[in-house]
Amino acid sequence: MWRTWFGTGHSGSARPRSELRVGIPRTLNVWSTHQFWVAFFAALGLQPSRIVFSSNTSEEQGRNFGRGRGTVDCCYPVKCMSGHYGELVFGQKRKVDILFSPMIRSLPSLLSGHVVDLLSCPRVMAGPESTKAGFIREKDAFAEQSIRYVAPLVCLAEPVLVPRQLHESLADVIPGLTYRETRAAVDAGFAALEDFSNAARAQSRDILRQCARKNDPCILVLARPYHMDPGIGHEIEVDLQACGYPVLWTQYLPTDADVMDWLFGEDIRSGDISSPFDISDVWPSSYSSNTNEIIWGAKVGSRIPWVTCVIRLASYECGMDQPTFSPVQKIVESSGTLFFSFQDLDCTKPAGALKIRVETIRHYVGQHGKRIITRKLAGLGKPCPFTV
Amino acid sequence: MKIAGIDVGSTTVKAVLAENDVILWQDYQRHHTRQAEKVLEFLNRMEAECGLRPGRDILFLTGSGAGFIAPLVGSKIIQEVVAVAAAVEKLHPDVRFVSEIGGEDMKTIFFTAAPGGHSKQVYMQSACSGGTGTFIEKAAKKLQIGPDELAAMRHTGLSLHKISSKCGIFAEADANTLLKSGVPVSEIIASLFDAVVCQNLATMTKGNTLAPTVLLLGGPNLFFAGLQEAWRHHLMKFWAERGVPLPEGGDAGSLIQVPEQALYYASLGCIEVGRAEAASSPTYAGRDRLRWWIDKGQHEEKAKQGGRALAGDATEMAEFRLRYGDPKRTFGLRAPSFRRRDGPPDAEQAVIIGCDLGSTTSKAVVLSQDSDILFSCYSQSRGNPIEDAQLLMRQIRGAGFHTVGALALTGYGKDLLNDILGADMAVVETVAHAEAARHFFPDVDVICDVGGCDVKIMLLRQGMVVDFRLNSQCSSGNGAFLQGVAERYGVPLEDYAERAFQAKSMPSLAMGCGVFLQSDIVNQQRKGWSCDEIMASLAAVLPVNVWVYAGQLHNLRSIGGKFILQGGTHRNLAVVKAQVDFIRKKAPEAEIFVHPYAGEAGAIGAALCARETLESGSPSRFRGFELIDALDYQSTTSKDTVCHWCACNCQRTFVDVQIPGAEGRPWSKVPAAPGWERVISGNSCPKGMVEDASELRLIKQELEEKRRERPNVADMVRDRAFRQCKATV
Repeated sequence: MWRTWFGTGHSGSARPRSELRVGIPRTLNVWSTHQFWVAFFAALGLQPSRIVFSSNTSEEQGRNFGRGRGTVDCCYPVKCMSGHYGELVFGQKRKVDILFSPMIRSLPSLLSGHVVDLLSCPRVMAGPESTKAGFIREKDAFAEQSIRYVAPLVCLAEPVLVPRQLHESLADVIPGLTYRETRAAVDAGFAALEDFSNAARAQSRDILRQCARKNDPCILVLARPYHMDPGIGHEIEVDLQACGYPVLWTQYLPTDADVMDWLFGEDIRSGDISSPFDISDVWPSSYSSNTNEIIWGAKVGSRIPWVTCVIRLASYECGMDQPTFSPVQKIVESSGTLFFSFQDLDCTKPAGALKIRVETIRHYVGQHGKRIITRKLAGLGKPCPFTV
Repeated sequence: MKIAGIDVGSTTVKAVLAENDVILWQDYQRHHTRQAEKVLEFLNRMEAECGLRPGRDILFLTGSGAGFIAPLVGSKIIQEVVAVAAAVEKLHPDVRFVSEIGGEDMKTIFFTAAPGGHSKQVYMQSACSGGTGTFIEKAAKKLQIGPDELAAMRHTGLSLHKISSKCGIFAEADANTLLKSGVPVSEIIASLFDAVVCQNLATMTKGNTLAPTVLLLGGPNLFFAGLQEAWRHHLMKFWAERGVPLPEGGDAGSLIQVPEQALYYASLGCIEVGRAEAASSPTYAGRDRLRWWIDKGQHEEKAKQGGRALAGDATEMAEFRLRYGDPKRTFGLRAPSFRRRDGPPDAEQAVIIGCDLGSTTSKAVVLSQDSDILFSCYSQSRGNPIEDAQLLMRQIRGAGFHTVGALALTGYGKDLLNDILGADMAVVETVAHAEAARHFFPDVDVICDVGGCDVKIMLLRQGMVVDFRLNSQCSSGNGAFLQGVAERYGVPLEDYAERAFQAKSMPSLAMGCGVFLQSDIVNQQRKGWSCDEIMASLAAVLPVNVWVYAGQLHNLRSIGGKFILQGGTHRNLAVVKAQVDFIRKKAPEAEIFVHPYAGEAGAIGAALCARETLESGSPSRFRGFELIDALDYQSTTSKDTVCHWCACNCQRTFVDVQIPGAEGRPWSKVPAAPGWERVISGNSCPKGMVEDASELRLIKQELEEKRRERPNVADMVRDRAFRQCKATV
């Protein structure tokens, strides 16, 4: 069934695996599952140098490769996907053999086991399907370029399902692929992803340690993982970084036991929440993985003293983000932390407005940062895990 | 039986009369917003010249004006895209794509072969002027190019420049900037043609591939040779890139056709559709009711349609005047520290100067150490921020102030002039406006600043600007438009409000694009609305454009309870009345105040911020009136000043200011001698502040160092997550 749904009807590739070149669009939830795919394909015997990601989203990319192939979709990040597909299909010096664009139904998450579910946004999940349409509507662009298009549905939050899902979709694309090796490759993928997350969390902890030492403010970004893509998030946080503030992201906040106990111990002991990763006190309908992490990030950000300012990014008319706007704002501001929201980001980058916003934030963080740190520190017990 | 197809468009009326597939009569004329009169004239001529007869022949109407005329003449309405498609299917069965550009709209039709004929996809947009005929004509008018000259202008072989294709008014501004920087008019027009085609391709194709043969219809496509060239250029390039198979020997001319009858396709389509429906259609009812409507009906309708008066009834107006008539008097009592002092200034006392260096006007205020406003002044911007600042300083000095304790700048010129004037602070606009509002209203939630050329809405929480909307994509809703209309009527701006309050009722104008608002005004005028009534309605539509169209704020209750109106446009009481009515309707409990110094709020805010410098006791960096007055400068805007660091290609201006001891830039393409300091303006990012590669390296190094010192976790993701990490090998 997978074959008829997602294959484009070519015969199996005759090339040995080590020579296969796979292209993956650098979009949407690939921004949080990157290392899984790199390690997965490497474990299957593909050369790491032949696992190619499209470049970051840019206007140029859309213009050169996505023009005329756009889909009617109100989600800008999904819309941009056609540029990525086009780049992989038409814009590679060395042709890719496979365009691999997973339809990720659920996501691995640090909140696994503490929330109702870990689903992706349905629009984002189905992005590959609507994007594909622009490439086969009149002529099959994949077939013309001799590219196998593979877009398996994968439930990354349920690791036991993943080997079967990937094996079925890749079996006639990767020569001699067995279920067993797919399973081993999936294990390697999850391990790599976890290693990467741990390294990123360690960096966040380092940043906080430095802030604690110097009593300096830092900025936390609450956004979906793909807002790290310069073409989607417009590098707004980079402008703030240039003003002298280190930047943390909700996906990679430290989760070490000592830090969690420092921030949430009292709430757990008083019975308000059952664990540091429990968000049911503020967000009972915790189905969406990225949304859950944003809400949790708001709770953490409102507690960590050096996070004096939280930046919220949301793409144009994002239906997943909209219900979270006020809860997130209220959670963050409850501790006196500054909160600035950049909503309705889309393709137009209003340079003037952005500059004024960044300058506004800089002004207030400069004016109130130290006072906020002192006040937030006073509300937390000792010892502080970042100074010991 | 004869059949007439009449296309009543936004700028012209086109009509064709046919009998048995033979065209007996056709004409098109501009109607100058008198659609009904032009249709009447055409019917007259058709009756006299070709024997069009009531009771026997049939009319079919299409186009934006068909709706109100059709019932008057006994005609059926045919949707315009349906009509165009019918004509194309009959006359050009091999056409796959049609673009019709009208005066105020654009349409595209895709034909794909389907069993039993063609399947059609049609798209139309008529809400925004970007990409329409008005877009080109408006800019051409500004550049003083006549219609004939415009029609002959080319696209092929000319260098193109970046012109905003999104909004007609901004395109006009872009065209102006290009003109000022010495770009030839021919290149500007070529760029406009290019922008129109790009805008059509960007917004109207929606995932469909444009396949040959292509048909270009509508006035602009027919008349502007350059526009045809732009289409051919883009489509041929597109087909080559896409490998679209072209028929043997097919050249641009045969694949992209502009038929002679390009103007009449909607009319011809009406006849085509009409032939099939003739049996079930009413016959032509004659001209009488249309003539009645022109003479009487429309005026009766005007009376019926008219909204309530902006002024409301006498009690309402009296209450309004009491509350908003003189904000200074009302608030002089509440904030005693902020009164304007009379009498000569105390020359010895150190004062605080705040300057708001805007794009159209620059304002300055002088505050005492107790925050009394001692003096305020302004100057119209002359395009050179240094000259503007000098004018302000001369006025302040002339008023008798000598000792300056602190100077703060805000507005777009703040960074540019910070060092040259020796300012103590460059305050971002949002903070300046918020400080000015909070001085009087500490618990303000929303500040609405409507200036001449921009609209800013600032939302505050905990006394801080946490969100704001800047109208940057579209010119809708700003004060310059109001001023322009008043000028056209010859009404001094000071009299605007009183004239608008005289109106007993007013027409309702459509929210949205300023370009279309202009034609809507003409349309209302034609219906008999007077200047006072139109000015009232223009004020009434401003809040809708400000909050809904530009600010995208639909729920005013959710953003707060205390609204402060600032900016020079709020000196106009008619606008204030409209704002108060609008906000009250949306948020009945809201408290609404006009800032007592609406026009100078930015400058006051900056000065208030600078109080800290004065209070800290540190000496001001102010260069002194003499030195500023004696500043000699020269500015250069040319090819050599364009920034090439990225694809934006910002057109920069180099302003060289003579400052003793400055090093100069002998190595530059635009050399500056020793003793001259260069200030670069017009760049949109910090990279543009530098001229050459070695300077850029230094800046990049600094940025990198900053980024290393202050890491961003996303950098790690961007750098490492998409390749095999060492840790995971």
